[in-house]
Order: sequence, then structure tokens, then C-alpha cells
Amino acid sequence: MEHTQQRVVHANVVFGNKGEHELIFKAKEGDKQAFRSLYDEHIGRVYALCYRLTGEKGMAEDASQEVFIQLWEKLGNFDGQSQFSTWLHSVTANITISYMRKQKGWVQRMFNLENSDINERPAQENSTDVDLEALIVRLPERARMVFVLHALEGYRHEDIAKMLNMAVGSSKAHFFRAKQLLKEYMGVDDE
Amino acid sequence: MSDFDDKLAQHVSGLSREKQPERDLWRGIELGIASQQSDASNEDSSSSTVTSRQWMAIAASVCLVTVLWFAAPFAFKSDESRSSGYALIDAMSTQQQQQVNSLLASYESTTALTQDWQEQLKELDDAADVIKAALKDDPDNSALIKMLHHVYQQQIALIERVHAPKWQQI
Repeated sequence: MEHTQQRVVHANVVFGNKGEHELIFKAKEGDKQAFRSLYDEHIGRVYALCYRLTGEKGMAEDASQEVFIQLWEKLGNFDGQSQFSTWLHSVTANITISYMRKQKGWVQRMFNLENSDINERPAQENSTDVDLEALIVRLPERARMVFVLHALEGYRHEDIAKMLNMAVGSSKAHFFRAKQLLKEYMGVDDE
Repeated sequence: MSDFDDKLAQHVSGLSREKQPERDLWRGIELGIASQQSDASNEDSSSSTVTSRQWMAIAASVCLVTVLWFAAPFAFKSDESRSSGYALIDAMSTQQQQQVNSLLASYESTTALTQDWQEQLKELDDAADVIKAALKDDPDNSALIKMLHHVYQQQIALIERVHAPKWQQI
């Protein structure tokens, strides 16, 4: 039974996205129009992830461009075993993290900046009407990245630790800190 | 799981999976891909050795980028400053042209290794023109500025490589 279900899921992956598979095939062959269609289809999700990871519009735009420029080269690595969107999401996360590292290196060397004190802003008054996105981008960088990857994207702490080059315990600690800060921003009292 | 965790999970599941960027990113991507492809063809046709003149060219470019880096926040602050934003691009292009002219003058008596280098230089010129045209509409696009800078670096590298490969300088 379980085996049959798995096959149905695989069939959905393969045939449900037949149009997309054709676009991917064409783009791999160098068809820019097909690649543009893939861009149109996926830019929303790619940009959302870039924005939530970087917490800044300009960087998110640059990182999204970087993702698609590199994707043009990396498309040959997509073997069709998983959903394209899942694979693209993982590529996006990795490229954005590496892009942020480069940017941070520049900025820190030039200005020796630490995490901004943006999280000093007052809590939202009405916790029932929460703009979670706005609160996420207020989080300190590491806490925000761990929160986005774990809570929104579903990565395990073990994977996040590898991606962000930190210990598993640190990833968990950053996640805990992110939750505490969000609680504070939402104006929720400690139970 | 605490009440807050439940509430947070609800907010997370209510978050939209998509968000559209405010400006069109495709043009920059298209140019980035074109620049990557031209990179690959240049690497195939010549050595990647860095000579002392190239170091000087790179140093000059770094100085220029540093000036742009500090000037950009002032120049790109508002829509009104679009023209001054583009003035920086103009300055960058003028400096590049001067650098190219002086390099060409210094290699006047040297025979080039390949016949088609001027064609390649022209292709890079065309690429720079396309990027500059895009920058006219969007002078604060950092990806485009980076691309233009990259194309200019490639022009310098091309002139150096066809006139003074390492084995000629021993």
C-alpha cells in the first residue's frame, strides 16, 4: 500500500509538472525563452526566501538575480528525482547564504558593523493582527536565518548547522532566541 | 507545545509562500548570463596570467569601485539624483576609455597574438553599451554596475593578454 502511494506521488512529480519538465529540458539546452518562463514561474518564491533570509529588499533583489544567473549554469545538475521547486529552494538558500557572507565581509571590513539594533523597536500593540514577515526581518541576522530555514522552510537543525557553518546546538539556540524575540515583538507575556 | 508555539505555527502557515520583487530583475539576469558566457569564451582563447600592467589596471579599477562605493549612497539617494547617478557611470566609462587608449598606445609597436582581438574588444564594447543603456533607466542597479565594471575589466585583460602573454615577458 505504502509502496503504491509512493509511486503515485512520484508519478505526480513526474507527470504533474510535465510542462515544467519540458521547460527545464529546453533551458538546459540553452533556450533562454524557456528559462525566462521558469523565472516567471519561480521568482515569487525565490525572492520571498531571499527577502526573509537577508531581511533587506536591495540585497534580496541582488541575491535573487545571483540565484538565476547561477541557475543557468547549474541547471544541468538537476536530475529530476525531486520536485524542481524543492531543488531550486535548496539552491536559493545556499546561494543567498554565500552571497550574504560575501556582502557581510565587505561591509564589516569597511565599517566594522555588528547586527543592527533594529530589534530595539517597540512591540506590536495588537498581537492578534501580526505581520509576521515584518517581525522576521527585524530579527538579528543569525536568528532570522535559522528561524526562516527551520520554521518556514522545514530544514533540520543538522542541515542548517552545515549550511551556516555552526554547531547544531548553536542553530537550536538561535532558533530559541528568534522565538523569544518574536514573542517579545508580539507583546506576548511569558507563561 | 506552548500556546505561543501554536500561535506562531498558525502565523507561519498563514505566511504567503511568494513575494514579488518591486523591480524587474530579469534584465540584470539576462545580462549576467551573457557576461558569464563571454567570460567563458575569453578564458578559452587566452591565458589567465596576471601581469604587472594588469595589476595596475586592477588596482585602478579597485580605486574606482571604492570611490563609487562611497559616492553611491549620496548619488543614489533619490529619484532626483538619477542624473547624478548616471554621471558616475559616465565618469567610469570615460576613465575606462582613457585607460584603454593609453594601453593601446603603449602596445602600438607590439604585434598582437590573435587576429580577432579587435572584434572581441568590439563585442565587449557592445556589451558595455547594452548595460549602459539599461543603467540609464535604472542607475542605482548595483548588479548592472557590477556587470559594467566586469566588462571593463575584461577589456583591459583582453588587451593585455593578446599583447603581452607571460611567455613573451621572460
